[in-house]
Amino acid sequence: MASLITCPHCGTRPKEEFSIRGAAAPRRPSAGDRDEVWYAYVYVRDNPKGLTQEYWHHAAGCRRFLVVERDTLTHEVFGVTDAAALTRKEAAE
Amino acid sequence: MTLHLLHRHVLEDHLAGFETSPNPNHVSVVRRPVILSVLAHGDLEAFAGRLAAFSTMSARFCGPGEWLVVGSAAGADELTDRLGEVAGLSVCDQSDGKVVMAISGPSVRKILAKCVAVDLHQDVFAEGEGANMLCCHVACHLARTGADAFEIIVPRSFAGSVFEELMEMGREYALTASFAQS
Ligand SMILES: [Zn+2]
Repeated sequence: MASLITCPHCGTRPKEEFSIRGAAAPRRPSAGDRDEVWYAYVYVRDNPKGLTQEYWHHAAGCRRFLVVERDTLTHEVFGVTDAAALTRKEAAE
Repeated sequence: MTLHLLHRHVLEDHLAGFETSPNPNHVSVVRRPVILSVLAHGDLEAFAGRLAAFSTMSARFCGPGEWLVVGSAAGADELTDRLGEVAGLSVCDQSDGKVVMAISGPSVRKILAKCVAVDLHQDVFAEGEGANMLCCHVACHLARTGADAFEIIVPRSFAGSVFEELMEMGREYALTASFAQS
């Protein structure tokens, strides 16, 4: 597993400071969506070999939710973004 | 007037009776620190500027819109009032819940290298900088107050454990400890 994560607020930190909170890619369906859509959102996850996006909570640092893009095969980290900033950026687009 | 219920310091049993004259590497524990947790919402850059303008305290960065404000006991009430007047700031007194340990000396970085997993080189962690991090496996705040001087803020209930581990790591550098003379 990637052992050094560069938090945009705190700098380069060991993975022990973080807690992984699951896949960041699935988007929450709207309240009126069919049960199947909600089932898929809540329970169905891929287990990718390669590139993945996850929520990492910087529990022992700034306590912000971050989105970490990493490779599960090579352990390479491609990017770390504040989750709130990412959501704002997506909303603006 | 803030009522301090902590008339006995949590590190009293770790320190009292063991005083020696301080060595070059020394831990100084502040008996009555003033620590305020400050949260801001709105233009965070502007708040950082306003906090930096206060001369009687130092604002330590914790995360976006969050600081630990460390001041001197004498001006505690005034400081709380003045911060409370700034619109958009929430202030919470943490003085009784936190312990401040100031560690300094020529070997301080070698000692801290065994306690934190963060690069403390001057180029990446300059004087005046601070951050939340794990210190001796406890979520602490570490700030650099000088070239060879750091301040560690720990939750009160973890202070004994962090203090003992810090002293253990400093033993090979003849680290001494005492309460700060104030
Ligand atoms: Zn962080």
